[in-house]
Order: sequence, then structure tokens, then C-alpha cells
Amino acid sequence: MTTCNRATILAGAGVAVIVAGIVSYFASANPDGLEKFQQDFGADRPVHKGIEAPPMAFKEYHLKWLGEGFWANAAGGVIGALAVLGILLGIGWLMRRRRAAAGTQSQAPRC
Amino acid sequence: MHISSGFLSPPVWGTMAAVSGAALAVSLAGAPKRLDERRVPLMGVMGAFVFAAQMVNFPILAGTSGHLGGGFLLGILLGTPLGIIVMGSILVVQSLLFQDGGVEALGANIFAMGVMPCLLGGAVRWLWTRQKPGLLVQAVTFAGGIVSVLAGATAVAVLLWWSGSLPAQVTLPGAIGVMDFIHLWIGVVEGLVTVAVARFVLAVRRDAVLDAAPQTGVKREAA
Repeated sequence: MTTCNRATILAGAGVAVIVAGIVSYFASANPDGLEKFQQDFGADRPVHKGIEAPPMAFKEYHLKWLGEGFWANAAGGVIGALAVLGILLGIGWLMRRRRAAAGTQSQAPRC
Repeated sequence: MHISSGFLSPPVWGTMAAVSGAALAVSLAGAPKRLDERRVPLMGVMGAFVFAAQMVNFPILAGTSGHLGGGFLLGILLGTPLGIIVMGSILVVQSLLFQDGGVEALGANIFAMGVMPCLLGGAVRWLWTRQKPGLLVQAVTFAGGIVSVLAGATAVAVLLWWSGSLPAQVTLPGAIGVMDFIHLWIGVVEGLVTVAVARFVLAVRRDAVLDAAPQTGVKREAA
């Protein structure tokens, strides 16, 4: 048990990387609840004009350069999890900076 | 439970984009007041964890799978506003980087998997911030996890029906019934995982979960 923020980030990122990079390889390939619902009703084809996502280096969470195996899935999962971590730490930092400007201070322990 | 591109009509996705956009704006405006220095790392790692957990589809019923939603858990551990910000970030990354969930359906997906479960999670958060969450608190949370998934599933069924994306003979109650029956089993897993993870995070970083934990007198082991 620790109140250390850095330890929390390292441990939390470690768990997320393991789950997204390794455990996810063993995920069920069955259609998910919504896909099953749409298939059951024969309504799994798009009927409206959607907005295309920009072309990216991933397909089904697999990094395309690495093909379709374990490492492609691991790369996709790790990059995604770390991207979410980075974005949220960035948002949090910006929000805290705004709060600091408003004059409130916190005295969390340093480590 | 991500709605793909091409299944929502423009009035429907436009409405949901406005609703979720407003929820995100309110969350961003309201959150800093309660943003402790220790809450930011927790917010980051919980977001990464929920993203990771969503990749792990587990089999349910015959030939179907489900994955964790995570919004209910985030509402409990971070409160509703921060939970909505975290789920919004995850869903944006999934949609733009991984093409999981249509771009125009982002508002609808943030509503079903973010806004609603985070509101429900925030509603039971106070149960967890008291001294020791007992069996009753855990039972309520387990049930709440199921309710949060069914709420999202119901919303998705309504939006698809409203968009005319289901066959004409399918009634709205019929669509909701099928969707909720499938997601009931996913909800059971959501409830169990939520209780387990909430217990764990509260055990290791109680100070970061609580709103105003005392700064002094917190016992620390050598870091």
C-alpha cells in the first residue's frame, strides 16, 4: 500500500498493458451482444450514410504491419492503453493547472 | 456494445451528439473543483484499465460474447463527471484510432456506455466512501452493475429502432426485450468485476478515491 502517485501510474499501466497486450489475445471471437442482436434481426448491414474514420494503422485492434497474430494484437492493445493513459493524464494536468490558477493548493505527499 | 457506422440516422446521432457533448461540457466545467492531485493518476490508470478490459471479450450464451463496460466502475471510483470524461476519452480513441464504433455514433456510444453508467455509478459512490463496504454495499453494487449494462443496452435498442435500422415488423418492446436478455448475462459479469475492482482499488489507494482524504496522518509504507 502506498499513496505514491508514480507507483500508482506504473502499477496501473503495467496491469493495463498486460490485459490489453496479452490477455486480450485469448478473448472470445464470438460476435458481441450488439452484433448478435443485429444478426438475429438480420439487421447487420449499414442502412445510413455514416462518417468514415480516418485511415489508421490498426484493423480490429491489430497493428497492420505486424499481420494478424499475437504481436499485432499486443502492439494494438499496448498502444491503445497507453494512448488513453496519456490523454487522460494530459487532460488532468490541464484541469489541475486551471485549478492552481484559481488559487487552490493541494499538499499531496511527494515521492 | 459499440454502435458501428451507418446504423444511426442523422437526426438520431445528431441528437445524441448534442446530449453527450453537453454532458462532457458540464463534466469538464464541474470536475476541476474536485480534482485532487492524487485523482489524476487514478483517472489515467483506470482509463487505461477499462480500455484494456474492453478488449477482453468473454463468451456468454451460445455463440455470443460480451465485454466490460466500465462506466459504472468509473462512476464509483472517480465520481460521475470524471467518469464521463474518462469514458469519452476511451470511446474517442476506440472510434478514431481503432474504428471500433462509428464516428457519427460517438455521441450515442458515449451516452450508452459513459453518461448513463457513470450517473448510476456516481449514485452509489457514497456507499463506497464510507468506512468499510459490507456485504450489502457489494450486493447493491453487483445489482447496479447489471442495471447499468441494461440501461445502456436499452438505449442502444431504442436508438437503432428510432433510426429505422431494424426490420419494420420489430416492435420497440420486442427489440428492447431481445437486447436486454442478451445483455443481462454481460451485466452479471459487469457487476462481479465492478465489485472486485472497486474493492481492490479502495484497498490500495483509498486516499485517491475519496474526495477529501486528510493529507496528514496517512500511513505510508516506504515507497
